[in-house]
Amino acid sequence: MKEFFQDFKDEFILNFVDGNMWKWLVDGLKNTLIITFFSLIIGVVIGIIVASIRSTFDKNREVYRRRGGFFYYFQWCINALANVYLTVIRGTPVVVQLLISYFIIFSSSRNGIGIAIFAFGLNSGAYVAEIFRGGIMAIDHGQFEAGRSLGFNYFQTMMYIIIPQVIKAVLPTLCNEFIVLLKETSVAGYVGIMDLTKAGELIRGRTFSAFMPLIAVALIYLVVVVVLTQLVKILERRLRKNER
Amino acid sequence: MRDNSAIIQTIGLKKYYNGESIKAIDNVDLSISRGEVVVIIGPSGSGKSTYLRSLNLLELPTDGSIIFNGVDIADKNVDINVHRQKMGMVFQHFNLFPHMTVLGNMTLAPMKLLGKTREEAEAKAMELLRRVGLENRADAYPSQLSGGQKQRIAIVRALCMEPDVMLFDEPTSALDPEMVGEVLELMKQLADEGMTMVVVTHEMGFAREVADRVIFMCDGKIAEEGTPEEIFTAPQNPRTKQFLDSIL
Ligand SMILES: Nc1ncnc2c1ncn2[C@@H]1O[C@H](COP(=O)(O)OP(=O)(O)OP(=O)(O)O)[C@@H](O)[C@H]1O
Ligand SMILES: [Mg+2]
Repeated sequence: MKEFFQDFKDEFILNFVDGNMWKWLVDGLKNTLIITFFSLIIGVVIGIIVASIRSTFDKNREVYRRRGGFFYYFQWCINALANVYLTVIRGTPVVVQLLISYFIIFSSSRNGIGIAIFAFGLNSGAYVAEIFRGGIMAIDHGQFEAGRSLGFNYFQTMMYIIIPQVIKAVLPTLCNEFIVLLKETSVAGYVGIMDLTKAGELIRGRTFSAFMPLIAVALIYLVVVVVLTQLVKILERRLRKNER
Repeated sequence: MRDNSAIIQTIGLKKYYNGESIKAIDNVDLSISRGEVVVIIGPSGSGKSTYLRSLNLLELPTDGSIIFNGVDIADKNVDINVHRQKMGMVFQHFNLFPHMTVLGNMTLAPMKLLGKTREEAEAKAMELLRRVGLENRADAYPSQLSGGQKQRIAIVRALCMEPDVMLFDEPTSALDPEMVGEVLELMKQLADEGMTMVVVTHEMGFAREVADRVIFMCDGKIAEEGTPEEIFTAPQNPRTKQFLDSIL
């Protein structure tokens, strides 16, 4: 027993204390959180736009077709574009998207974190779009009609009446998307970014000891995810209470 | 064909679904004058809702004209949003905005669409709330109101836009029986004040008492129309008679 603790201590010092390698983990976590946070913001912006395009087209198809001409084809094209985006993003692995962003689209830039935010943001946008579209579709159609019958146009109805209700409804799901994204960014190391996972890998490469750094990385992810999950639960409860 | 005394008139209005297989409304001509209260009755599926909802283009007509304040709003080049501001609509399921207070519900459109300041919009809203005896619920959320209260709020929300005509689609059908009276009472007050109203309802008592004219719809057409007296005591069309027998 005593030996075990002594070994544990030695290993701990070797992997984290020597050369201040624990700081790598801190930096890695910081990068992971930065990439996740800004990707989600990009994802939400893209998601709201794409979801609005798609549900606008679905809801107004009849009106647009009736008006016909250029306007209808314009809407049709934008909608088709949104569909291509969703299909491509959801049909390919995020690592491949990250590699393409890094080595093809931004091959002349070495701002790894910026590129990762772009790639994960673009990826997340597709999933957030579906979350928002589900949210929009779940709103009672009577809400649209009430807005329109007061004289609001389609976009005003969306902005003042529908979107505020949708945001409230999807907020917990969005927070869960943040948690999913946090774990997905662990592939950022593929393009040489030192995120949390990569930090663990670097320590392992330096000390040739796998157990400590990898378990530490896993524990850090776990703690962050568990804390966030609890926060989402509290948020959900408060939103529900607000409904009365 | 145009009736210049009418505030709202439909000429040859048609609404078909699935090509021509469902004729929800089929060639309806009707003109409604300012201050008139028109009650539409008829069996389920006869096209009452579709007709009413066509009047403010919530349903797009397949063919025909809707002349509102002298403008054919069925014309696809007309900006319908401007005209809808002048047509209040009340729904069976209230459709209050759940994320806003009563006051928020009532001031949103006047502020955003009529350019009123918050003070002006709230003053008008409070005046209407006092009229319906709900001024103490101004800060409540819709989920805290009873059905009858919700519907009365929905009515005054529409009135905040100072509409020229009010459209009602079965406003009391979703209410518990004990709450029907308060809503009908408010509608009667509105009628007495000279509001132009088109009301789809199964409340025959209301039709008899308040309507200037009763329309009986059947299979998407106007089967019979007349004063409440004419329709309820001496219906000419056998379909009308059959319908009235079935519900009274
Ligand atoms: N979106 C739609 N697609 C196809 N048919 C429809 C649609 N909306 C309405 N209809 C049909 O149009 C006809 C008229 O419907 P409408 O809702 O106007 O009847 P109603 O008189 O209001 O009936 P109720 O008393 O049940 O409310 C019905 O036969 C209905 O099935
Ligand atoms: Mg109906």
